[in-house]
Amino acid sequence: MKRRDFLKTSVIAGAAISLNFESLQAALSTNTIAVEKVPDLVAVMGGEPEVMLDKALEALGGIGKYIKKGQKVVIKPNIGWDRTPELAGNTNPKLVKALVKKCLDAGASKVTVFDHTCDNWQKCYASSGIADAVKEAGGIIMPGNDEKYYKPVDLPQGKSLKNAQIHEALLEADAWINVPVLKNHGGAKLTCAMKNYMGIVWDRRVFHQNDLQQCIADICTWSKKPVLNIVDAYRMMHQNGPQGKSAADVATLKSLIISPNIVAIDTAALGLFNQVKKLDMAAVGHIKKGEEFNLGTTSLDKLTIKRIKL
Amino acid sequence: MKRVPLLKWSRVFFAILFFLPVTLFFIDFRDMFPDRVSALLEYQLVPALLGGFAGILLFQFVLALLFGRIYCSVLCPAGILQDVINRLYCIGKKKKKGTRRFSYHSPMNVLRYGLLGVTILFALFGFTGLLMLLDPYSNFGRIATNLFRPVTMWINNLAADFLMRVDNYSLYHVTVTTVTTAALIAALVALILFIVLVAWRGRLFCNTLCPVGSLLGLISRYSLFRVSFDKNNCIQCGLCAQSCKAEAIDAKQMTVDTSRCVDCFNCIGSCSKNSLTYRFNPVWKRDRVVLPVELSVDSSATPHPNGRRSFLATTVAIAGSVSSVSTLANKIVPIEDPKIEKWPPVTPPGSLSLERFKDKCTACHLCVVQCPSHVLRPAGLEYGFDFLLRPHLAYIDSYCNYECTVCSDVCPTGAIRPLTKEEKITTQVGVAKFMIERCIVHTEKTDCGACSEHCPTQAVHMVPYEGTLTIPAVTEELCIGCGGCESICPVRPVRAIIVKSNIEHIFVEPPKEEKVKEVQIDDFGF
Repeated sequence: MKRRDFLKTSVIAGAAISLNFESLQAALSTNTIAVEKVPDLVAVMGGEPEVMLDKALEALGGIGKYIKKGQKVVIKPNIGWDRTPELAGNTNPKLVKALVKKCLDAGASKVTVFDHTCDNWQKCYASSGIADAVKEAGGIIMPGNDEKYYKPVDLPQGKSLKNAQIHEALLEADAWINVPVLKNHGGAKLTCAMKNYMGIVWDRRVFHQNDLQQCIADICTWSKKPVLNIVDAYRMMHQNGPQGKSAADVATLKSLIISPNIVAIDTAALGLFNQVKKLDMAAVGHIKKGEEFNLGTTSLDKLTIKRIKL
Repeated sequence: MKRVPLLKWSRVFFAILFFLPVTLFFIDFRDMFPDRVSALLEYQLVPALLGGFAGILLFQFVLALLFGRIYCSVLCPAGILQDVINRLYCIGKKKKKGTRRFSYHSPMNVLRYGLLGVTILFALFGFTGLLMLLDPYSNFGRIATNLFRPVTMWINNLAADFLMRVDNYSLYHVTVTTVTTAALIAALVALILFIVLVAWRGRLFCNTLCPVGSLLGLISRYSLFRVSFDKNNCIQCGLCAQSCKAEAIDAKQMTVDTSRCVDCFNCIGSCSKNSLTYRFNPVWKRDRVVLPVELSVDSSATPHPNGRRSFLATTVAIAGSVSSVSTLANKIVPIEDPKIEKWPPVTPPGSLSLERFKDKCTACHLCVVQCPSHVLRPAGLEYGFDFLLRPHLAYIDSYCNYECTVCSDVCPTGAIRPLTKEEKITTQVGVAKFMIERCIVHTEKTDCGACSEHCPTQAVHMVPYEGTLTIPAVTEELCIGCGGCESICPVRPVRAIIVKSNIEHIFVEPPKEEKVKEVQIDDFGF
């Protein structure tokens, strides 16, 4: 090969490599040959958390669509309780770990993880396995135990809640990902993506004092929305939530739902939940209230949904 | 030629060896030290006395009989704290104004033995409050808990703020929540008292107010090993008396008052003639000093009170007034208030009953420091004078962790008896009382359920109410009184669910284990 030819080929090859075939690859990998529209919501069932995350993100067009190079990223799991992963009180640590890695691989300058816990924060961080998972993946696990970490924010759209103190990691973040675990909940009836917002604020008492369901919807109107919601339903607490008493409260569903649409993902999660325990949408008042705020839709039939079974 | 003051330096060495971990354990707001550090505190005399640990008492008494009040210089954190204060006071001062500022004073036997007698009698008649206020260990505990600890936390916060800017969270922000007004005042008064007394007359506290000092003094006056004069060598220069923190050395008469000597051994190094030694010198071997005439005249002006005689005299005098004391104590304690707002304090799991806890707790606040959920708080006067400064479970913004047994593991007096995890989760310290007329679900017709959320046994659970609403209900036989519900209830000023204390703790059945049901799902359901 002549040197000129070699250079020419190299240039062409280089150009080819830099082209983005991700959506094509996604389509190929899910056996749908025709190039289709990016789905609004992806649900995966039957794999380990990290595998399901892989498949789901692939279907959405890759993490790179949501996390850009150099961004400061916050991942907000549910780490509310001093419970081990088997009891499903908190987001699955494997999922959090895989997600931290994905964000760092996508070029995030740093990935911070925190939650305003209910039980003693150090115990929650440790027992949930999330502190270790985040460190192993190269992320930063940040405390959320002190009012000092929270700064006031206005919620002009809020009905009951006009302002709140929100964790500064989120205020500084360029993008954040909401990673709830799907559970039964004594007060809100269901805790999922919208309810997970209660862990980003300092004062939760005002929520309970001023119409819990409305306040949950109100806090979701905060201008900085998560780029993605990822619902962990690998194990699901179907009763005695949100804390749970024992393994008898947990059903293993090996599922994961992902969507930027927070109302849709909670609606879908409720559908999943309903297969184990009956729960009326009307009882989970905050979902409808979220729709009234135009935060998303409960009409799943109007959305492009991709269901993947592994 | 001067000898190396080996005894003094070994005293300092052992004192630091003991004092440092104990102090850090009291400051330990990050829970870095294992709970077993508390084993160091099991040798404290008043806790051992109240806990009825006969072996430890015997050990301490034998130690004092053999070697004198070594306890006061090496094992008593308050004693070592006073030495530290003394050291700080001497900084930058010439020897004459610093380490050699003391002079011999005759003992205040009526005061010290009288106070000891009163304290013991009060305790025997069920009022341990005076002992708690005078106990050196507990005073040290309160100073460390309510002063040293918050200051350290404040410094930590400054450092954490700085590190936060570089995304380092190895230090994190902490809030001081467990220091109550009463505890702060008690600690401040104690620390100021220590500083003033030390600056003025060295170990005056230990030889007047301290019940442990007085008790050990009664024994150590007969100690076999003691600091003794070599009368042939002594030139009566008085350097030893000037360096004696206990002001127990009378250089003119060449005597050391062993009942007040705390075995600091500073005098031995101060003597230029090496005529002071710590040696085997029991009472029966001691040669009586024939007092020079002019000195005996001197001492008759201030008569040498006989310790034992005055002790007995005071005891008798106090015994006469005891009946009035016990009636006084009864007046202070409201026996049973019918109004629910005046429920007695919730005492820690392991304390068994309110009365037992009041008898045994010296309010050292070690449990307050070590409680990972910061739920234990020292009381003020809200529960009467005989519960003053003692810790109770205050469900203001936290609750007792379900499986946690830390307070019972660290308590040096046994006031909080050690519990296994199984015992802990079935010990009912109180019962949640739900008052529907205040509940948000009832008054506002909105969802809440915060109480049930935090209930580890689901004794507080949600039952159907109006429409889709659910409202709390309490299964009392499942409730252990952990306060999860009360701490989170958003209703103010009075919460809708409050734990009513059990004056006698009882055991309840653990929550029944449910069978794990296999749930099979093949569909997404949407």
